[in-house]
Amino acid sequence: AALCPCRAVLALRGGVLRALCGSVRGLAAGTQTHFGFQTVTEEERREKINQVFESVAKKYDVMNDSMTLGIHRVWKDILVHKMNPSPGTLLLDVAGGTGDIAFRFINYVRSARERQLQRKLRSHQNLSWQEISESYQEEQCKPLGDSQVVVCDINKEMLKVGKQKAQYLGYSEGLSWVLGNAEELPFDDDKFDVYTIAFGIRNVTRIDLALQEAYRVLKPGGRFLCLEFSHVSNPVISRLYDLYSFQVIPVLGEVIAGDWKSYQYLVESIRRFPPQEELKAMIEDAGFFKVDYRNLNLGIVAIHSGFKL
Amino acid sequence: LQCQLYPPQRAFQASAVLRRVFDEQKKEPLASSSQHQFNSHPADHQPEQERQGHCPSYTGQGGQESEDYESEEQLQHRILTAALEFVPEHGWTAEAIAEGAKTLGLSVAAAGMFHSDGSDLILHFVSECNTKLSELLEQEQKLVQLGEAEKKPTDQFLKDAVEARLRMLIPYIEKWPQALSILLLPRNIPSSLNLLTSMIDDIWQYAGDQSTDFNWYTRRAVLTGIYNTTELVMLQDSSPDFDETWRFLENRVADAMSMGNAADQVRSTGEAVVQGLMGAAVTVSNV
Repeated sequence: AALCPCRAVLALRGGVLRALCGSVRGLAAGTQTHFGFQTVTEEERREKINQVFESVAKKYDVMNDSMTLGIHRVWKDILVHKMNPSPGTLLLDVAGGTGDIAFRFINYVRSARERQLQRKLRSHQNLSWQEISESYQEEQCKPLGDSQVVVCDINKEMLKVGKQKAQYLGYSEGLSWVLGNAEELPFDDDKFDVYTIAFGIRNVTRIDLALQEAYRVLKPGGRFLCLEFSHVSNPVISRLYDLYSFQVIPVLGEVIAGDWKSYQYLVESIRRFPPQEELKAMIEDAGFFKVDYRNLNLGIVAIHSGFKL
Repeated sequence: LQCQLYPPQRAFQASAVLRRVFDEQKKEPLASSSQHQFNSHPADHQPEQERQGHCPSYTGQGGQESEDYESEEQLQHRILTAALEFVPEHGWTAEAIAEGAKTLGLSVAAAGMFHSDGSDLILHFVSECNTKLSELLEQEQKLVQLGEAEKKPTDQFLKDAVEARLRMLIPYIEKWPQALSILLLPRNIPSSLNLLTSMIDDIWQYAGDQSTDFNWYTRRAVLTGIYNTTELVMLQDSSPDFDETWRFLENRVADAMSMGNAADQVRSTGEAVVQGLMGAAVTVSNV
């Protein structure tokens, strides 16, 4: 909670001015962008995406499971495993809505911390009783070892669902929820160890701005991780995937969530998103080093990683 | 307050870590050369003075300019060197690398640049040790050429070289079994084998081996065997200053030398036997 917007007036002014610049630019040039397969202005796109997530928020998790047949859990597990966070890591999960990545992070760090304490105890076999009891107390007080995760999302409904889930599952420590825009994060520079954005960067209107913000809020040496639907190069799989996406998913959306249009937008937005190499180039442009990506499921999903060096 | 109207070009992007480091490097150009000395105290704590090691000034990243920026490889080299200090406590793991990154002022997430099993750290250490060994042997050779030292007989030379190399493991000997097991993972075998063979090759070169026949292979195979077995003995040796290990080493080298003689003897005996048989056959055929 200490990481919440704590910047001074200066930053606010900067943020407001940048937003003004953005909208002025939009009005003046009428920058066209895409919303699925439609062409809209940037403002319209933001508004439409806001509506999409407001309407899907309650059924978001259920739909994820049914569309991906539960495989999205494996993808998210792989992301956190690749991150390999050590206790004491500060994570910023952007577009983290319902908290999937945040909860996995907490679990991972908790077990890493337990292993760490066990190893410490084992290596100090000749401690006095006082020292041993002190280390047990430390285990009680700091089960996460000072790790924290901040979940930031632009949509209030998604955050609400996330908070409810956290309460239901019993996650309370080391977790914060912040309302914010990925293109303009309400955080100071050089704050976080890891920045993740899972299945969110597709919905950001100006991806380059989001990447620049990611660069800004990361500490030197910090890591950027992006999990997103991507381009399938294998022609056979690609055809099957297209078939599944356009024929099955919107129908599932209508049946389960009563919302055909949002899921039509989802599959269209996947097709409009830049492929792996292009996203890699964009990440490098933002200033990240050692950028690479790993395809999961033949390119249906890709994890991009970069370091602020 | 920047109204960014264009994405900043990579050439002008201020790298958060790489350039800054080189500025510090400029302030102490002389101090870095003294870091070459091998010290056997892992807890040699110099947090201000980073262990720069070898930092050639020609590198840049992404093919772009110049001498002001160190490359990613150099940064990784520095992180791994800093991480060695934490190995006795954390073992050869990503945690040790994370702690090393912390001492350089980087986030712990920088450990994600390396493989999560700690193999990068071990390979880095082995490669550093091999480099130090080469330098040691080079210096000795120079002394011999200048006439300031006697040229050692081969067995003495090999024994000293292997001993010097194994002594470099002493500060990390507790966690070395873990390192060996990681090096034996199929993923790491090509690199670890490469490092081992180049080290053995180096030793033989400085020992003056100029063979161009099958001897080249047998010599290297024999020395590899001696080195590996001595290393294993060292792992469970509890004598003061590893005396048992050095005695074991001496015996193995002596064995190898006498094996060479025995091989010659066997060959000459074999030739003699063959000639005898041929003579007997000729005699029989003439009867």
